[in-house]
Amino acid sequence: MATRKRTLLKVIILGDSGVGKTSLMNQYVNKKFSNQYKATIGADFLTKEVQVEDRLVTMQIWDTAGQERFQSLGVAFYRGADCCVLVYDVNVMKSFENLDNWRNEFLIQANPSDRENFPFVVLGNKVDIDGGNSRVVAEKKAKGWCTSKGNIPYFETSAKEDLNVEAAFQCIAKNALKNETEEEIYLPDTIDVNNGGSQSKSTCEC
Amino acid sequence: MLAELRTSKLSPQKYYELYMKTFDELRMLEVFFREETKRGCTNAYLYELVQHAGNILPRLYLLCTVGSVYIKSKDAPAKEVLKDLVEMCRGIQHPIRGLFLRSYLSQISKDKLPDAASEFEGEGGTVVDAVEFVIQNFTEMNKLWVRMQHQGPAREKEKREKERSELRDLVGKNLHVLSQLEGVDLGMYRDMVLPRVLEQVVNCKDELAQYYLMDCIIQVFPDEYHLQTLETLLGACAQLQPTVDVKTVMSQLMERLSNYAASTPQVLADFLQVEAFSKLSEAVVKVIEAQPDMPLVGAVSLHVSLLTFTLRVHVDRLDYVDQVLGACVKKLEGVGKVKDSKATKQIIALLSAPLEKYNNVVTVLTLTNYPKVMEHLDYGTNKVMAVVIIQSIMKNGTFIMEADKVEALFELLKEIIQDSDGAPTLDELDEEDFMEEQNLVARLVQMLTNKDNDEMFKILLTARKHFLKGGPKRLGYTLPPLVFSALKLVRLLQQQGENSEAEEGAASSQKVFQFLLQTVEALSAVPAPELALRLYLQCAEAANDSDLEPVAYEFFTQAFVLYEEEIADSKAQVTAIHLIIGTLQRMNVFGVENRDTLTHKATGYSAKLLKKPDQCRAVYACSHLFWVEVEGGVRDGERVLLCLKRALRIANAAQQMASVTKGSGGPVTLFVEILNKYLYYFEHGNQHITNSVIQGLIELIVTELQSENTTQDPMVDAFLASTLRYIRFQKQKGDGVAERYAAIEV
Ligand SMILES: Nc1nc2c(ncn2[C@@H]2O[C@H](COP(=O)(O)OP(=O)(O)OP(=O)(O)O)[C@@H](O)[C@H]2O)c(=O)[nH]1
Ligand SMILES: [Mg+2]
Repeated sequence: MATRKRTLLKVIILGDSGVGKTSLMNQYVNKKFSNQYKATIGADFLTKEVQVEDRLVTMQIWDTAGQERFQSLGVAFYRGADCCVLVYDVNVMKSFENLDNWRNEFLIQANPSDRENFPFVVLGNKVDIDGGNSRVVAEKKAKGWCTSKGNIPYFETSAKEDLNVEAAFQCIAKNALKNETEEEIYLPDTIDVNNGGSQSKSTCEC
Repeated sequence: MLAELRTSKLSPQKYYELYMKTFDELRMLEVFFREETKRGCTNAYLYELVQHAGNILPRLYLLCTVGSVYIKSKDAPAKEVLKDLVEMCRGIQHPIRGLFLRSYLSQISKDKLPDAASEFEGEGGTVVDAVEFVIQNFTEMNKLWVRMQHQGPAREKEKREKERSELRDLVGKNLHVLSQLEGVDLGMYRDMVLPRVLEQVVNCKDELAQYYLMDCIIQVFPDEYHLQTLETLLGACAQLQPTVDVKTVMSQLMERLSNYAASTPQVLADFLQVEAFSKLSEAVVKVIEAQPDMPLVGAVSLHVSLLTFTLRVHVDRLDYVDQVLGACVKKLEGVGKVKDSKATKQIIALLSAPLEKYNNVVTVLTLTNYPKVMEHLDYGTNKVMAVVIIQSIMKNGTFIMEADKVEALFELLKEIIQDSDGAPTLDELDEEDFMEEQNLVARLVQMLTNKDNDEMFKILLTARKHFLKGGPKRLGYTLPPLVFSALKLVRLLQQQGENSEAEEGAASSQKVFQFLLQTVEALSAVPAPELALRLYLQCAEAANDSDLEPVAYEFFTQAFVLYEEEIADSKAQVTAIHLIIGTLQRMNVFGVENRDTLTHKATGYSAKLLKKPDQCRAVYACSHLFWVEVEGGVRDGERVLLCLKRALRIANAAQQMASVTKGSGGPVTLFVEILNKYLYYFEHGNQHITNSVIQGLIELIVTELQSENTTQDPMVDAFLASTLRYIRFQKQKGDGVAERYAAIEV
């Protein structure tokens, strides 16, 4: 019998379609960026080991579909999230206005124990476009919103130019860690593969 | 927990929750397995071991989990393990359980595929193996998913379809995985991935699956791939089940492509090179043919999507735009007026799109198929569209500068400009709507203009030709602005000097006046005599300025005819008379004879007005016809005096009538008014107006005011007082005027 502590942080990325959720995650985890748009279907995660202060933790980053019609199974994966990242595109007003909806929807569905203090992080992405000339959401405005929602940390990022991506995810990890519940994992010395299942093969429905 | 996944009782969403919990547990188990291998347990052994699990579903989940560790360890080639796993999963044929198991397989294997440049490439296989694996898993999942509809009682079909719909992302996810493979370049996508996926989509013959998967393909793969494989993709669209909402699928594709072109202008060359437009046009036709039951709205909205694409990608290709409209006309052939309201909405969208894009009606008028599409709108909607067109012109300040454009425009607007067959009679129309529309048409006239006088004249002729078909109720709105427009032209012609040898068709003042005469005549026949009279007088003034005596005389004659024959209301007569007098006074083109005739008539009308005070005022106003204070104007002092005397006589009569009836002080004011006229002429040097005449009149007024028959009227008193004050003031001025005034005592 051995007991071991292991820290797994579950992070959910939400935001309108096309704001760059997948791109941010790919930049952070794989250090890759593509100009091509490939819609995300359903939800999926990538993991990354990160050093937070003096601890090594595993971050499980869930990227989700911004297009509602590609989220047909609901949001069961919100369960157990340690941090929620809200992304918008600084060049698209609607994507900023929708942050409210994404946040509310998350709180309702994930139903975290401490709603007031659940950690969110907001990212204003695509600041690189047109040298910032085409942006329509001012930094001040975004920060104002974040302050009003309980001082949410805010970052201006570019997945394309890898601007602030590392810093943002560091912050995400830190905040998630504050929230995480350490999981005690029971690791048996041997496994009994029939344990828990029905012993009789004849009753198998499959 | 794994065993719980064997349930058949949960809805997909609930099952998904359970799956998520299990998934978390399995992650830990995976860590455990990895630890085990470090402790000397071989992967092959573990892989063997878990196969002894009693139930197949938990067994396969375990197998996939170990498989993941196995691949990761590279103890066996990835492709072999993957192939084994995807085969083994065939053991689960229950749709929901099978779909989740396979999506588990997909999830844990996603980062272990022998993709190009991945650590599992090489001995682990190639990207072809990766693609094979994903496509096989996809195919199996799609089969399970499609088959699900046939399982269970027929009465639960609706519930089942809902559940199927919820499960769709599990299947679609595979396409996402394919799109993420680095090794899938354009060539591989075109030659292997797309054909295989489409084959599955087309052959499954399931409406839900086909619609969803086409949508996925379009969203999941990048734009340049679509552009380079358009033919294949569009070919599949035409092969879908007849019930599939293919118009939405195609419009999403077109929307993506046009976003692409908009965001990356340099790809336009590729669009041209692959002939995207013609491929899309052909596909629209084919898809409509392939779905004979497609409702009209579907066909039209496909054209709307195609048009939107064209306007965004090939905005300068008016021929393309017209071609799309033409294709839609073809589809509408034999349909007549479209009755379905949804289809009608789409037609409106089709017609509005070019207007909104070009913000210029003139551009739109070059589209030969535009009016043909509009023909298919029912009467009411056609008018709505006509209003939209006019509003666009006004909003954008678009000038229509050629007669043939005016012709084309009015052809488009014909439902509000004239009565067509099948239109409701005017009495059936809402009065207010009608007024609003016609006012809009009236405002439109100012936009029909050209600096070239000849073209402008043609424009006027064209506009009138159409307006005259509008019937009496419309003419009252449409002709006056046309008259003003023509008057403007006359002034221009006059300013620029007459072109003496005007060619056939060229504008000349004579011709424009002829035009005006006919136009106003049409208006008088409406009948709108008061309006017509006003316009005749305006024309007369313009003719005066153009130095055309006979023309001016003709307009006056017409005005007088109208006055005599058509204007019966006494108030209208008073207004008309004063207009006539005012205009006539300003005329300087007339020779003595013509002038005498007209003045004589005007004075005659004045004296015949119904009420004495009106008569009186009109007659003293006529005095100005004999005394014009401009260089070379008539100054016939004697006739001025005659007029004023006549006015006095009428005032007297009015006064007597008033005292007989009820002793009103009203008419006294007439005397004061006449006194002021006397003073005017006196000051302007009319020798027939002497100080004694004025003196006499003042005394007369004072007596009248003191007469017991006259009731007190402070207004009259004040009026007189201020007149007298004026006289005193003039007397004190130290100039020639004061000298003349000296003799008058007040
Ligand atoms: N210029 C620029 N483009 C970006 C940036 N981030 C993402 N993009 C582009 O934006 C498009 C959409 O990016 P995705 O990451 O797929 O967006 P998403 O939020 O995952 O979209 P969904 O999966 O549909 O929800 C892609 O074409 C990216 O290349 C950025 O920081 N700068
Ligand atoms: Mg995405």
